[in-house]
Amino acid sequence: MKPANLSLTQIQRADLRERQQRPLEFGLIKRMFTYTRPYAWKRNLLILLTLTRATQLPLLAWAVGTTISGPISHGQSDLLVVGVLVYAGLAFSTDFVFHFRQRYALELGESVMHDLRNELFVHLQRLPMSFYNTTRLGRIISRMTSDIETIRIGVQDVLFVSLVNLGQMVVSAALMLYYDWALFSVILAMAPILWSLNRYFRKRLSRGTRQVQESFSRVTSAIAESVSGIRVTQGFVRQATNLGIFRGLITDHSRNNLDVARTSAKLTPLLELNSQFFIAVLILLGGYRALYVDGVSGIGDLIQFFFLANLFFSPVQTLGNQFNQAMTAMAGAERVFRLLDREPEWQDDPDSENVPNIQGHIEFRQVTFGYDPKRPVLHDVSFVANPGQTIALVGHTGSGKSSIINLISKFYLSTAGEVLIDGRDIRAIAGLSLHRQMGTVQQQNFLFTGTVMENIRFGRPEATDEEVVAAVESLDCLDLIAVLSRGFATVVGERGSGISLGQRQLVCFARAMLADPRILILDEATSSIDTVTEARLQAALEKLLRSRTSFVVAHRLSTIRNADQVLVLDQGRLMERGTHDELLQVGGIYAGLYEQFSQEKNAPV
Amino acid sequence: MALANSSMVGGDVSNWILVRRLLAMGWRYRRGCIRVLILQIILLTIGLSGLSLTGLGIDVIHSEIDADFSAPGWPFGFEPPIAWAAMSRIGLIAGVILALALVRAFLNYLYQMSVAHLVHAEIVLHLREMVYDKLQRLSFRFFDANASGSIINRVTGDVNSLRLFIDGVMIQGAIMVLSLAVYLTYMLHLHVTLTLACLATTPILWGVSVFFSSKVKPAYRRNRELYDELVRSLAESVQGIQTVKGFGREETRRELFFESNQRFRRQQRSIFWKVSLYSPTVGFLTQINMVVLLGYGGTLVFQGELALGTGLVVFAGLLQQFSGQVANIANIANRVQQSLIGARRVFEILDSPVEVSSKADAVHLPKARGAVRFDQVGFEYQEMDPTLKNIDFSVEPGQSVAIVGATGAGKSALVGLIPRFYDVTSGRLTIDSIDIRDFDLDDLRRNIGIVFQESFLFSNTVAANIAFGHPEATREQVEKAARVAAAHEFITELPKGYDTVLGESGATLSGGQRQRLAIARAVLLEPSILLLDDPTAAIDPETEHEILEAMQYAMEGRTTFIVAHRLSTLRRADKVVVLDRGAMVQTGRHEELMAQPGLYQRLARLQIVDDLRERDEILREVRPE
Repeated sequence: MKPANLSLTQIQRADLRERQQRPLEFGLIKRMFTYTRPYAWKRNLLILLTLTRATQLPLLAWAVGTTISGPISHGQSDLLVVGVLVYAGLAFSTDFVFHFRQRYALELGESVMHDLRNELFVHLQRLPMSFYNTTRLGRIISRMTSDIETIRIGVQDVLFVSLVNLGQMVVSAALMLYYDWALFSVILAMAPILWSLNRYFRKRLSRGTRQVQESFSRVTSAIAESVSGIRVTQGFVRQATNLGIFRGLITDHSRNNLDVARTSAKLTPLLELNSQFFIAVLILLGGYRALYVDGVSGIGDLIQFFFLANLFFSPVQTLGNQFNQAMTAMAGAERVFRLLDREPEWQDDPDSENVPNIQGHIEFRQVTFGYDPKRPVLHDVSFVANPGQTIALVGHTGSGKSSIINLISKFYLSTAGEVLIDGRDIRAIAGLSLHRQMGTVQQQNFLFTGTVMENIRFGRPEATDEEVVAAVESLDCLDLIAVLSRGFATVVGERGSGISLGQRQLVCFARAMLADPRILILDEATSSIDTVTEARLQAALEKLLRSRTSFVVAHRLSTIRNADQVLVLDQGRLMERGTHDELLQVGGIYAGLYEQFSQEKNAPV
Repeated sequence: MALANSSMVGGDVSNWILVRRLLAMGWRYRRGCIRVLILQIILLTIGLSGLSLTGLGIDVIHSEIDADFSAPGWPFGFEPPIAWAAMSRIGLIAGVILALALVRAFLNYLYQMSVAHLVHAEIVLHLREMVYDKLQRLSFRFFDANASGSIINRVTGDVNSLRLFIDGVMIQGAIMVLSLAVYLTYMLHLHVTLTLACLATTPILWGVSVFFSSKVKPAYRRNRELYDELVRSLAESVQGIQTVKGFGREETRRELFFESNQRFRRQQRSIFWKVSLYSPTVGFLTQINMVVLLGYGGTLVFQGELALGTGLVVFAGLLQQFSGQVANIANIANRVQQSLIGARRVFEILDSPVEVSSKADAVHLPKARGAVRFDQVGFEYQEMDPTLKNIDFSVEPGQSVAIVGATGAGKSALVGLIPRFYDVTSGRLTIDSIDIRDFDLDDLRRNIGIVFQESFLFSNTVAANIAFGHPEATREQVEKAARVAAAHEFITELPKGYDTVLGESGATLSGGQRQRLAIARAVLLEPSILLLDDPTAAIDPETEHEILEAMQYAMEGRTTFIVAHRLSTLRRADKVVVLDRGAMVQTGRHEELMAQPGLYQRLARLQIVDDLRERDEILREVRPE
C-alpha cells in the first residue's frame, strides 16, 4: 500500500491560469478610449503636449551637440552664449511641458479608473443572486483592482508614452539623416536587432514571472494553512514534517526566482553591449569620414551622433515594454468588459409596480423551481401563509428550504407556477419595494465593518441612535451589547474582533427588528451556543417573529414548536403541512425527524 | 477567550540596535557581499575606461584634422608608434572599446547573478525557513494575538523587506559611496573649478529628493489605506449581498462605495501634483549642470584648458552618472525605513519565547495508561485575570469526563492544558502520576488525540488529512481509522475516494463529514487520551447524530475529555465537571448532579423545558447581575 501523500496542500489556482495577455484588438482599444470622452479636452491637450515633448527631447540633445561641435570646437565665444541660452530656454520649456504631460496623464488614467469602478459596482448590484452564488469573491475583486489597473495603464501610459517615444525616434532620425545618412543607416540596421532581442527576452521574462507567481502562491498558501491549522499541527506533532515540505517549496520558489534573474541578467548586458558597439562603429566610421571626406564638419557630425543616437535607441526598448503593457491591458479590458456586458439573467418586469403597504399574505401555487431549470429542486409546491403567521421550514440539507426562501425574497424566479404576495404575482412587484418591507437574518450572521450601532442601523438607515437602542431593548438583550468593550460603539466585522457568536446573532436580530418588516426571512444559525445564551436568543427570536409574516429555516426545536405552520420538505417536495402537534399526530416524516431530534432531550432524566 | 493584547517582545527596540543586528546579519553573508562589491568595482573601472576612450577617439580625430588642437595624451603612458596612420589609431581605440564592452557585459551578467543568488538562494531562503520553523513552535497565545494575514506577511513580505537592508542598503550604499568618490576624483582630476561649478546644484538636488520623499511617503501610506478601504467596501458588498438585497439597501452600499472611490481619487490627485512637480524639477536641476558645463566648460575648451573629447565629453558623461547616484541616495534612505519596519516584524517572531518546550532531562512516554489528574490547577491567560481556579479532579484510564459551562467559563482552556497548549500557572497536572511538564513534549502530544470545535482540514487528499499525524501510515491504517469514525462510507462515495482533494477546487464536505474526518485523524494514532472540544458546535442538529455515533466508537478504551452542551452526551459521561467563570462548581455523575439544586440542574432544565414562562423564570435565575 502506498503511504499517504506527503504534502501540506494541493492547490490549483484557477486565477493564475487566466490569460495575462491578448493581441491588440481595435474594438477593445476603442471601447477603452470611449471612457476618456468626458475628459476630451484633457485628452486632446495631452496629445498636443506629448507631440511637443517628442520634439523637445531631440532638440535638447541637438542643442548640446551643436554647441559643442560649433562654437566650442571653433572657439566662438559670442555664439557659445547664444547656444547656452537656447539650451537653457529649451530645457525650461521641456520641463514645463513635462509637468503637465505627466500630471494630466495620471489624472486622466485615474478618472477613467474611477468611472469604471463606479460603473462596475452599479452593474454588480444589478446582477441577481445566481451570479453571486457561482462567482468567487476573489474574481470579482481582481476585476475591480488588477484588471481595471491594467486598463488605467493602457489609457494613461501606452498611448502617450508610445507617442513621445515614437516622435522622439522620428525627430532624432530626421536630424541624424540630415547630418549623415550613411552613419544613420548603420543605426537603422541595429534597431531591428535591438527590437527582436527585447521581444525575445520579454517573452521569456513574463513566462518566468508567471512561474514565480505560481510558486509564490504555493508558498503563501502553505503558510496560510500552517497558520490556520497550527493547533492541529502542534496537537499532532507535525512540525518537522511540515518544515521539510516548506523547505521544498521555498527552494523551488528560489529556483524560479533565479531563472528570472538569469534571463534579465542576460538582457541588460546585451542592451548595453549594443550601445557600446554603436560607439565603436561611430568612432571608426565617423573618424574615417572626418579624416578622408568631410574634414572639420565631420567631427561635428560625430558629436551630434554621440548625443542623438541614444535618443533613437532607448525608445526601442521603451516601445517594446509598452507593447507588452498594451497586450496586458487588452487581457484586463476584455475581462472587465465581459463582466460589464453580462446581462442579468432576469430583471424586474418593466411594468412591475411599487407596493407600498404589503400585508404579508404569501401564497405558492404549484411552484417548480431549479437553479438550473433542467434540474428542479422544488416540485409543485403549494401553500398559503396568512399575514402575521410564522412558518417553519423543516427538512434535510438539500430538501429545498433555502430555495423557498430565495423565491419569496425574489432572489430567483420560479420556473413554473406562481408566487403571490397579497394576491399579486411577485413578478409584478418591484424587487426594491418588496425588499424594503422585508428583513432577513442570514445563517452566517454577516456583519459589515463598522460599529454595532451602524450594523443595526443598516436595516433602516434613517433611524436615530435612540431607535437603535430601543430595537435591542425590545429584544430584551441590552445587557449582551453593554458587555462589549465599547458597547454600541464597538467596531466589528473582521474576525476576532471580540464579539461572540451569540452577540453576532443578536446584532442581526436587532437589525431586522429595527427595519420592522412586514415579511421576515430567517435562516437560523446552526452553531450551538452555550445553553444560557441559546435560551436568551430563543426568547429574543420569539419577540422578533411576532406580528409579521415570518419564514424560518428552523434548527431550534422551540421555533418549530411555536410556529403557526410547519412545512416539511423532502427532496424538493412539500410532504407535510400543519402545526407541530398536528404533524406529530399524523406520525409521518416530521414525527420521525422529531424523534431523532429530541429523543435524547425528552428521555426521562 | 479574551485576546491577550500583545505577547510580543521588543516592540520598542531602538533603530540603532536593529541596525547593528542587521549589520551582523550582513556579516554572515560577507562572502557573497564581497564578491558582489568586487565585481561592481571592476564594472565601474571598465565603464569609466570606455567613456574616456570615447573621448580619446574624438580628440584623436579632432587633432588630426584641426592643427590648432594638440594631440591628446594616451592613458597609462602608452603611445602608439608615430608611424601609425590616424585610421589605425582610431581602429585601435574602437577595438579596445568593443573588447572592454564584451568583458563588461560578461561581468555584468556575473554581477547580477551573484546578487540574485545572494538574495534568493541564501538570505531569503534561510530567513523564511527560520521564521517558519519558529512560527510552528510558538504557543497559541501568539496566534490568538495576531491576525493570520499579518503572520503570513512576516514570512513573505517582511522577510523580503528585511533582506533589502543587505542588498539594497548595505551593498548599494557601498557602491554609491564608492562610485561617487571615483566620479568626483575623476572630475576633479579633469578640472577643479569646473567640477565645483557643475556640482553647485547637487546639494539642491539632494535636498529636493529628501524633501519630496518626506512629503510623499505619508501620502502614499494614506493612499494605501484608502485603497484598502475601497476594496473592503467592495468585498463586503459582495459577501453580504444577501443582507444588502434582502433589506433592499443597495443604495446605501452604493453611496458608501462611490464615496470611498471619490475619496481615493481626490487623494490620488494631490499625489499626482507632487509627483509631477518632482520629476521636472530634478530634470531641470540636472540640465542646469549641463548649462554650466556648456558655458563654462566650452570657454575652457577654447582657452585650451580642457580637451574636447577626453575633457568636455567625458565630463558630460561623468556628470550624468554622478547625478544619477545622488538621486539614488533618497531611494536608499527609503529602503532603510522599509527594511527596518520589516526587520522589526521578523525579529519579533524570531525573538518570541517558545513558552512551552521539553525539559532537558524529559521523561519518554511511549504509551500512556491514561490516568489524568488535575491537582489544584490554576491558569491565568492574562496576568491577574485567572481563567481557571483551583481545578481538582482525577480520571481513571478509559473513563470519560464531560465539561459543561457557559461561554467563557474556561472549558476549552481546561482541555488545552492537557496537551500543554498552555502551561498551568499554579498546581500541577499529571498523567500516570507524573507531572506532564516532565514528559518529552512530542511524546506527550503523540499520546493525545484531539478533535477541535471547528476542525481545520488541509487542502489535500482525504487520506493525507487522516494521516496528518502519521504521514507514513499505510492505506489500511487510514481506512481503519476512517471506519472507527464512521467516515469510510461517505469517503468511498467521493469522486476519487480517499484520493479526493478537499478545499477550493475539490469536494466540499458537510460539517458532520468534516468532523468525522477529524475524528479519524485523531484515532489513527491510537492515542490513550482523547480530547473532544465541543465537536458538534458547528453542526446542524439534523446531522449531529452521525457524529455522536462516531464519537462513541472513538471513545472506547480511551480516557476522554469532552466539552459538551447536550444532555445526551452528558448523560453518558463517567463524570461531569461543571465550570462557572473558571471555578469548578460541581462534579459528579449526571444523575447525581440532577438530584442536587445548582447550576447544572438549571442548565439541564433549560434544555428540556417546554413551557415558555418556566424558561424565562430559569433565565432570570441564571442571568448575571
